[in-house]
Amino acid sequence: MSCSPTDLKEYFLSELNLTDSGRVEAHLKSCSTCREELERLQLMQAALGSLREEEIPRRIAFVSDQVFEPSALRRWWGAFWNSSARLGFAAAAMVSGAILVSALTRPAPAPVLNAVSPKATQVSAQTFSGAEIDRRIQQAAAVEALKAVAQAESSRLAEIRQLRDDLKKARYSLAVATSEYDMAARRQGIVNVAANGYGFPKSDAPGESK
Amino acid sequence: MIFRAVEDGDLIRQAARGGVEAFNLLVSRWEKRVYNYLLRLTANREDALDLTQDVFLKAYQNLRKLDDAARFAPWLYRIAHNEAYSMFRKRRPETNLEDAPQESAEDGIAVAGRSVFPIELSLSVTAALNRLSPEQREAVTLKIYQGFKFEEMAEVLGCPVSTVKSRVYSALDLLKAELAPVRRGVS
Repeated sequence: MSCSPTDLKEYFLSELNLTDSGRVEAHLKSCSTCREELERLQLMQAALGSLREEEIPRRIAFVSDQVFEPSALRRWWGAFWNSSARLGFAAAAMVSGAILVSALTRPAPAPVLNAVSPKATQVSAQTFSGAEIDRRIQQAAAVEALKAVAQAESSRLAEIRQLRDDLKKARYSLAVATSEYDMAARRQGIVNVAANGYGFPKSDAPGESK
Repeated sequence: MIFRAVEDGDLIRQAARGGVEAFNLLVSRWEKRVYNYLLRLTANREDALDLTQDVFLKAYQNLRKLDDAARFAPWLYRIAHNEAYSMFRKRRPETNLEDAPQESAEDGIAVAGRSVFPIELSLSVTAALNRLSPEQREAVTLKIYQGFKFEEMAEVLGCPVSTVKSRVYSALDLLKAELAPVRRGVS
């Protein structure tokens, strides 16, 4: 081993492990220069040791005072933030609470029930099973269908009545026209007989009259 | 019956749960070392004592943030380092730390009112330490006087281990040169 001032200083300062210390000690046995350097370091250390530690002028002691002692809340708060498990549990509890509050404050799906019956508005805040909801939906659909059919039938009936009235008017007009035609034909026959037999003047034919 | 010395780790755990008495025992074990570390940094007893009190108060308030009780020493010295430099910045935000007012060297060599080393040697050591940069002086304090490992020093100082080594090695070279004339007095 060659001379190494750094190793020698670390040996002097007890910073080397056993192996390296043994290596330096072996070198010191054969190197007078390093032995002298080590002696100088030891003398310097002895000189520095002439400055002894002083006694502290006044002893330090604490009393259990609330001013210096953290409060129980502060200790708990500090322990809380230093514990990841507690933080995780608190976060999970907050999420669960938020879900619960959201579920409780969520408005009930009642628009369909309101159309069925006025009573349904009074129970809008209640909760229903799936079968009950299906039954009420079918009931409301049936009512709506009946309403539509009734409206359609009413409209058709009005049309039929209008047609019947129109037909009656037409029949009446036809009957009147037929009757007038018959009367005109009879009158023309009478006129013809009177003209041919008795010499009376002829008037217009029935088809020509208005 | 088996007696077991209460270790720092036990005291730290009890103090972290609010045990003031456990923390006071912990303080009694470390206050002298922390005070002397801050005394080396500030060269002023009053400042060092005030800072030491602040350090332990802050340590008590933040002890629950210490994950590994085995890292208590570098964690505590990190607080002390920050408190000292915070004070330096507040007092002299635009001046160098080397200009800090220091007490006389003679004040720093008495143990229980008596000097245990020749006065000349202590004066020379104090003068040699004062010639180091604040970073070098703090590195020597942590390594030679406080006995920290390089990795722990890096944690205290908030810098890479390579920087710590560089500061220590350069400081040792300077101190060797400065103290060479007086080392005969030691031997």
